[in-house]
Amino acid sequence: MTPRLRAWALSAPALFLVALFLGLPVLSTLATTFGDPKGPFAQYAAFFDSRFRMTVLWRTMEVAVITTTISVIVGFMTAWVVAKSPARIKSLLIIAAVFPLLTGVVVRSFAWLIILGKNGILNDTLLWLGLISEPLSMLYTQFSVTIAMVYLFVPLMILTLVGVLEAIPQDLTEAAASLGATPAAAFRQVVLPMAVPGLIVGSVLVFTGSFTSYATPQLLGGERQMMMGTFLYQRAMVTFDWVGASTIAAVMVVVTLTTVLVMSKLARRLNPVAG
Amino acid sequence: MTVSLSLSGITAHYGTTKVLEDLDLHVGEGELVSLLGSSGCGKTTTLRLVAGFLEPTTGSIKLGDRDLTRLPAHARNIGLVFQTYALFPHLTVRDNVAFGLKQRGIGGAERRKRADTMIDRVGLGDFADRYPANLSGGQRQRVALARALVIEPPLLMFDEPLSNLDAKLRVDMRVEIRRLQQANGTTAVYVTHDQEEAFSISDRVAIMNAGRIMQLDTPEVLYSRPANAFVADFVGFENMIPLRAVAEAGDAVRAEMPGGGVLTLPKEHFTVPSKEFILATRPEGLLVAPAGDGIPTTLGLRTYLGRAYQYQCDTPGGEIKANGPLAQPFESGTNAVLIPQPEQCCLLPA
Amino acid sequence: MKTHPLLIAFAVLTFAFLIGPLIIIIGTSLSNTSYLTFPPEGLSLKWYENIFEISAFRRTMVTSFMLAVGGTALSMLIGIPAAYAMARYRYELPAFLGNIYVLPILIPEIVLGFSLMKSVAVGMDFPIMAALLVGHALLVLPYCVRVVGASLNAFDFSIEEAAVSLGCPRWKAFFTVVLPNVRAGIIAGFILAFITSLNDVSISIFLTGPGVSTLPIQLLAHMEQFFDPTIASVSVLLMFVTVGVMAIVERTLGLTFLTK
Repeated sequence: MTPRLRAWALSAPALFLVALFLGLPVLSTLATTFGDPKGPFAQYAAFFDSRFRMTVLWRTMEVAVITTTISVIVGFMTAWVVAKSPARIKSLLIIAAVFPLLTGVVVRSFAWLIILGKNGILNDTLLWLGLISEPLSMLYTQFSVTIAMVYLFVPLMILTLVGVLEAIPQDLTEAAASLGATPAAAFRQVVLPMAVPGLIVGSVLVFTGSFTSYATPQLLGGERQMMMGTFLYQRAMVTFDWVGASTIAAVMVVVTLTTVLVMSKLARRLNPVAG
Repeated sequence: MTVSLSLSGITAHYGTTKVLEDLDLHVGEGELVSLLGSSGCGKTTTLRLVAGFLEPTTGSIKLGDRDLTRLPAHARNIGLVFQTYALFPHLTVRDNVAFGLKQRGIGGAERRKRADTMIDRVGLGDFADRYPANLSGGQRQRVALARALVIEPPLLMFDEPLSNLDAKLRVDMRVEIRRLQQANGTTAVYVTHDQEEAFSISDRVAIMNAGRIMQLDTPEVLYSRPANAFVADFVGFENMIPLRAVAEAGDAVRAEMPGGGVLTLPKEHFTVPSKEFILATRPEGLLVAPAGDGIPTTLGLRTYLGRAYQYQCDTPGGEIKANGPLAQPFESGTNAVLIPQPEQCCLLPA
Repeated sequence: MKTHPLLIAFAVLTFAFLIGPLIIIIGTSLSNTSYLTFPPEGLSLKWYENIFEISAFRRTMVTSFMLAVGGTALSMLIGIPAAYAMARYRYELPAFLGNIYVLPILIPEIVLGFSLMKSVAVGMDFPIMAALLVGHALLVLPYCVRVVGASLNAFDFSIEEAAVSLGCPRWKAFFTVVLPNVRAGIIAGFILAFITSLNDVSISIFLTGPGVSTLPIQLLAHMEQFFDPTIASVSVLLMFVTVGVMAIVERTLGLTFLTK
């Protein structure tokens, strides 16, 4: 057997799995959307015409963008502290970030049900402090969905950015200092530009993750705060409108793939090391 | 502007480990002093202290009449060339070189002009718009040099700047470094573990070990007159023969080896430092002769070095190495004597 | 360079934000009230006993565990050869192959779940368990290929050639020389894949059906009907699994692996 043949033979089962159970089903989902008797794009025209569907799309975008922005800011500042910590504290902090990351999304969303509920801890605390006179309805709002999403994705951002910051050689900040750059100038002119590609990668992960999430909006947003994921599920499994669900799926695929492709191209352009 | 650098009474720690002990070092105006030693000897620590990346536990660092000891690194105005070059990968060659000027608030046009002039001086005129990733090792080295020089620092420091280059380029670059340093008359500190490199470009060399300077002198003196056994071993005195002075015989001292055998050392050429002492030589410092006043030996394995033959010699003081002339090869097993050549031998206190 | 105290304070708050909710879950699971409350009003383990009294939890726990082990094993079985081929025959295979194996991460999971339901569960008439197994194997394939691949890329294949030159057949060299040397990668990949499968919602939600469900889906369903501390106690059990997983990752690759 030639090496090439052997290489393909070893790859075949995995390629077969992906082709048969991912390639075909997803392509079939996408193909369904163009089969409308009123014309290939009728489903999309209907989608973008419907005020309700557009509201869901924009809400999802908005939540994803806000989640990403907050996660970037919180994640970067925290990752900075983690990266600069002495080794022992650093490994503790990394454990503290990994633990929630590996804990399931249902469990983590559930925590916010307890915290934000009518009789939840936050309401109890605010009442006790006398800041409010009766409990606030915080669940099933865009706020509850967003805070749970931030909670979901901050650990991912921290871990990504700790890796990014640690990959910046100490030599470079020292070189900047030796050339007269104050710590602030060295941060702005050396550290930040070098961290940008990593920041983009982290942002893409968070954006696509929150844009396509299901469990969190289901638990904390419910019917009132329908998002793309919950909307897709509702169309597919409650109203059994598979063509409509496929259209939602297609929009999700286009948004996420476009984001990934555009942003990774941008990250590569801004990554000087790759030349 | 040329100034001198003075370190006095410097002690430094990493955590609880002492890495420098009561170190004094003076580098004169326009002088290039190398810190030479194996890894862990404290040479890089010394450089990082002067650069301001470490703080000494005690002692002071002065550049001219400026006290640097507690000054932050970015306020020290020292040109630094790193072992890894530490070029900013996100900046072009020009922007790398202009970085220091920018920090000094020098405006766009002037900054560009000065950077380009310096880039030309290191021979990279055609590469100003490239990124470091697209340069060869030697070119990166030149950028690092230009970047350190363009800020016209009163002190230049090099941290193993050539260790990532191949052998031929290393020789070319060290000549270039020396040329630029002398042309500007800049005071310089050069850290290396490569003896040839240190000796070739330095005015003076400090040989360091375990956080101390073992000897600080010109390369010529270090090479031929090491002051102690450590330096002797470091500069290639492969034979260390322990001797004991037993008697004076007119204008000579008679000394014997622990295993027997007596040697006569004329006072005219040799100054015996103490009763117990060491005769340190390179293999070429011992002349292999059929007979005479020298160390008795049985010649062992002979190897050919090109300029001479080298013999493994069995002597009462142990196995030592000696070179013999090409014109007169000896067979293995021959009895001979090894005669110390005064100008190539040192007597050191034991 | 020293870190600003305000920045440190901020980081402390962030970690309190990350860990606090999990502590609240632990607290509520220990309450002896029949509603969720924190701090717990009286201590009791009865909600842990309750997990095992509800047969749906017992069943789905077993299903989830078997699915995670089975799906990951299946994925490893086909993922390791693929990763080996990519590392060993780097120049014989097109580079985009690596991207194909990560498609299950790239395509939104919920889209994948929906498509699998339509084409595989309904279209190909797969039994529920088979569809779930295929879905989970697909979901974790990127972890298997990437993590094992990272170990294989660091492996010096001249060692394998040395074994072959000493008379060891190729297939035997793979099992006796290559695999033992990438063991850490396989264990870590397995464990990450396992936890991903165990926690999965977006694929399972479409593929579970009458009589067959997974633990996270059962949790979701339970939460919609009852809001009692059982959910908290199940969550705590799942956190124990996370602790176990982290211990294994730390032992094999070290947790810093996760920041790369």
